[in-house]
Amino acid sequence: MSYFTEYKDLIAEGDLVLVWISRGNVKQLRIKSGEVFNTRYGSFAHDDIVGRPYGSQIGVRTKGSNRFGFIHVLQPTPELWTLSLPHRTQIVYTPDSSYIMQRLGCSPQSRVIEAGTGSGSFSHAFARTVGQLFSYEFHHMRYEQALAEFQEHGLIADGNVTITHRDVCQKGFLIKAGDTTSYEFLEGQDSVSVNADCIFLDLPAPWEAIPHLDAVIAKDRTARLCCFSPCIEQVDKTLEALELHGWEEIETVEIQGRQYESRRQMVRQLDDALERLRDVKRRKQHGTERRKRLGEQLGSVEELTDDVRPKTPKTSYNPFGKGSRVKEGDNGFEWKQVAKVESEIKSHTSYLTFASKILFKSRDENTVSQLLEQYKDFNPNVKAASKLDKRPQETSFEESQASNSV
Amino acid sequence: MDPLRQLVLNQHILVRLPSDNLKIVELKPNGVISLGKFGACHVNDIIGYPLGTTFEIWYEGDETEVVRGSTVVIGKVRVLENRAEAQVGSEGATPQPAELTQVESSKTNMELLDLGHKVQKLDHKEIERMKQDVTAGDSIISMMIQSHETFHKKTIHSQEKYLKRKKQKFAKFFTAEYLGSSGLLRYLIEKGDMQRIMDLSEESLGMALNLANIRSNGTYLCMDETGGLIVYAMLERMFGGHEAQHGGTIVVVHENEHPNLDLLKFSNYSEEFIGKHVKTVSLLQYFEPPTVEEVEASFTPLDDAQLREMKSNKKGAYYRRLKRYNSDLEVIRLASQITYDALIVASTLQLSTLVPRLAGKVHGSRPIVCYSQFRETLLELSHTLYDSLHFLAPTLLETRCRPYQTVRGKLHPLMTMRGGGGYLLWCHKVIPADNGAGKIDCDNAAAPACPAAQPDEAP
Repeated sequence: MSYFTEYKDLIAEGDLVLVWISRGNVKQLRIKSGEVFNTRYGSFAHDDIVGRPYGSQIGVRTKGSNRFGFIHVLQPTPELWTLSLPHRTQIVYTPDSSYIMQRLGCSPQSRVIEAGTGSGSFSHAFARTVGQLFSYEFHHMRYEQALAEFQEHGLIADGNVTITHRDVCQKGFLIKAGDTTSYEFLEGQDSVSVNADCIFLDLPAPWEAIPHLDAVIAKDRTARLCCFSPCIEQVDKTLEALELHGWEEIETVEIQGRQYESRRQMVRQLDDALERLRDVKRRKQHGTERRKRLGEQLGSVEELTDDVRPKTPKTSYNPFGKGSRVKEGDNGFEWKQVAKVESEIKSHTSYLTFASKILFKSRDENTVSQLLEQYKDFNPNVKAASKLDKRPQETSFEESQASNSV
Repeated sequence: MDPLRQLVLNQHILVRLPSDNLKIVELKPNGVISLGKFGACHVNDIIGYPLGTTFEIWYEGDETEVVRGSTVVIGKVRVLENRAEAQVGSEGATPQPAELTQVESSKTNMELLDLGHKVQKLDHKEIERMKQDVTAGDSIISMMIQSHETFHKKTIHSQEKYLKRKKQKFAKFFTAEYLGSSGLLRYLIEKGDMQRIMDLSEESLGMALNLANIRSNGTYLCMDETGGLIVYAMLERMFGGHEAQHGGTIVVVHENEHPNLDLLKFSNYSEEFIGKHVKTVSLLQYFEPPTVEEVEASFTPLDDAQLREMKSNKKGAYYRRLKRYNSDLEVIRLASQITYDALIVASTLQLSTLVPRLAGKVHGSRPIVCYSQFRETLLELSHTLYDSLHFLAPTLLETRCRPYQTVRGKLHPLMTMRGGGGYLLWCHKVIPADNGAGKIDCDNAAAPACPAAQPDEAP
């Protein structure tokens, strides 16, 4: 059972959960009765977590300061996992991975090649959606770590994920009995039929892996490919290899993801600012008049009368809360909702180069003629008319586009 | 044959023309695909080839059959090896198109004067006549190059550009593609139906599906004002165009009396399959469902013995009422007895009042994703969600795809691209603690430990 691919209601002993402490601080946790999870906001006993629904806020009052601290306990999803995972390598973030999945048309019918596995961030997203994932990692220690992680997460047991230790640039993608792989061969089986229709290459030199793809891509349908490379020089070499090996529909794109902070800015009106200055001026006036009076007295022969410094009351007019610490969103003031781009952005992740290939552009003439024989007497035009004029069979192209000028 | 792999009969496909314009075509047995000036061909001639194949329409010259109601002659098809007609070069340099190997080119365009159409010796009438003669597009283009006075003064790069432009005009080929959610979206964008699909981009759509964790066997609540595009894409992630056996349900809440999921008519699923996996309820039904008592009081299903005794003229009315009864019970179930695995909203209703109420039946720890064409509506929503303890870390996101001119040695971002694409808000449903700490004062000392109610810290 996978903690990623099954919707769970209650948190149970032994579950892998994600603890949301704050934004940017999400931790993985295995629930084990008797243990305690420590954060700077308090200590949380696993026993207080077990049996609660997923998504529960768990609160404690710290002994010393009697402050209330809490965490949220969530069920892992590939996207939350991406926020919490231990980086073994640079990872593919959600704006990139989601676009790649959408553009490759990933679905439960897809058979996917991913090389290399890296930190396994994208593997989790693929594993959730696709029929079969074949992941390859050339670094032995990273392979071991990823394999252990996939097993722990139940991805291998789910049966749709295979991870193989392999340098695909040197040795290609074929998986045979005796290879270092998580694939479990049946009696008498000596190789895996990969038949991939989606390929994701996150390699330093994808052009070295591209020649090996023909041996493992599906033969009877379109195979779609995405190469993920940070440098434009890599893209150039990739394009060369793709053209040389008969890949079509080649296009490079770049994804830019932005996250906004929701903030508030105080609404401060011109009239209020004027009024505040008038108020300052009025109070200043008191002082000016007094000084003027004192000045006149200095020049006269009369003795200085007892001068009592007049008490100007501290202003009561303070529309913007100046001098006091006003919290953003304070109910005593008017606020405008504003958004601002986060202070550090991922200005470049990688170039995504897409391509597609059909190995055999042919059809089985026998099957086709048998099929067409069944429809020998079918009149497409009659059917179209009876179908409430859903769409005319022979849609002529728009007038404007049909008339072309040289 | 498999409608996910090959071109099969009675399937909707996406046809990409030489101009890169798109068109949706239903492959009816014995039907005709008519592409206007790009020619026409028989459906039966392309059945069985892999989806994604590019076909050239060609004429031997003795064809007489025309498309009904037009003068477009129906031709033959042959598979085109490479749409871009890129021949494999020796040292991998961008290969030179065959048409250009016969003509000279210039290192620079120093000699090239802009004389407009005067350089073309063929006049408009002559070209139109050549088009009428239904020769293959290639020969028209060759003629035009030969009749172009200053063609050899262009650089090779500009010759290629000229050729590409002319090919888009005169070449007769098309690519028959699978109609996935991305293809359907591209088609709608190109048709200029941006209002209908709320300015949604492919990257925003993909990100919404990933953030909402859409997959097989989930039960999802959805509001979709895009005519069913989002539901179409959700079904793709759940079933992949196959009428698979596994479960998974989308409950679509609609604002009008009847739902608008018009785009689902292009999918490969049967009406029966869609009926089983896509349930629709109106907002009123969802928020004010009838009670079980009311439904039970108005109608009682009969047992088999009673049914047998019923007069046949009454049976019609009985079954209509039975159907109504069952659908009422279904509404009650959808509105009050299910907790949902995700909420996806693409609606122009006031989100800050809509979303918190729709989220009531979303299970804890499950994602909520809202799409809007405008950032401001999501901003307002995010402030509303911050003020509630039921929503964890509302996050306002934007994703943009920047396409490149993908030619070796001339790589650069395209000079113009489509703007817009919308924004996303992502958060998770959570369950506030109630053990004596139910009232959490976030303004006070506990503030740092109150992530749900704090303005975003930099992640």
